[in-house]
Amino acid sequence: MTAGRESARPGNGNRSADAPGEPSAPGPLARHILSLADTKRLLGIRYSDWILGSPSIETGIAASAMAQDEWGHARLLYSMLKRLGFDPVAVEQDRPAERYYSAPALDAPFPDWAAFVAATVVVDGALAVALESFSHGNFALARSRVPKMLAEEEYHRQFGAAWFARLAGAGGEGAAHLERAARAMLHTTLAWLLPDDSAYAAVVAECDIWEADRVGERYRDRVAAALGRVGIRLEEIHPAREGWDPERRRGAGAPGEEAVERARGDRNRALFVE
Amino acid sequence: MSGDGGASIKARTGLHEGVYEVFARKRRGDALRHIGYIDAPGDELARVYAWKTYDEENWFEMCVVPRGAILPVNRSDGPWAGNR
Repeated sequence: MTAGRESARPGNGNRSADAPGEPSAPGPLARHILSLADTKRLLGIRYSDWILGSPSIETGIAASAMAQDEWGHARLLYSMLKRLGFDPVAVEQDRPAERYYSAPALDAPFPDWAAFVAATVVVDGALAVALESFSHGNFALARSRVPKMLAEEEYHRQFGAAWFARLAGAGGEGAAHLERAARAMLHTTLAWLLPDDSAYAAVVAECDIWEADRVGERYRDRVAAALGRVGIRLEEIHPAREGWDPERRRGAGAPGEEAVERARGDRNRALFVE
Repeated sequence: MSGDGGASIKARTGLHEGVYEVFARKRRGDALRHIGYIDAPGDELARVYAWKTYDEENWFEMCVVPRGAILPVNRSDGPWAGNR
């Protein structure tokens, strides 16, 4: 396993810097892709926790479909890494939790349905905006593959907007849980979406994705109305950059080991017969 | 999908749900056919639930109609009889 993990270290997107297939340090574009792919994979896991136990059968089916969407999108994003010089299968299957680039809001399971709904707006919305920016850049694989993802994401947006309005409109404890969950996710998710570091600036320069200001405006357009239903004003929320890890493009911490085992498929691979 | 007009969901959650009939066609020019129904609390979630529930085909077009909006013409029984 150790050797596999070493070979899975994200490459820097510059084949000349490392031996082919054995890149050692992630470059800005590789980090950007890993940040998107890992967040989608973890979001899929968190959605899947609610396939059973959500408020209705239809809601559970939608949660299942959204989880599968996220995993499919993650796989397509991981496959882009092959263009950057390393093995996407090894990246998917061999990394430990502390090498995940996922948004910190997904490090722990959602404690209740309100947190699920908050994530469909706060985290899924951030992912959609980041992907939209990526699809408008000059990286050919993103231009060709991401628009289909965004079309599927439109149903996630509708789901999140409708459920957020429903819980907020019902008031009481449900609305209070929703507000708390959204506030808790927003600080770290804003930092994840709007990284204030040289690596992001390098991706903007190299791949012509949107600058952080435009990403922030787009995110505000997407989520402000929903958040306003529980009294959250996005302009009052500040990105939490404490403990920022420039390599993983996120704050301190890591997703829980159990979720990472599921993300890597450890238990399933134990059943494989050569 | 519970077939009880959402009553049990309302009882569990305190939030009202209604029944929506789902219609779809596979290709342009095909007849629109009834493929099932779903419970949903409103039009927006009805669209999402229908698309995600009946996703076994690559539908060209799908529509949802609130069950209460369907008016029976020649029968006094069946799921829409209450709308006469």
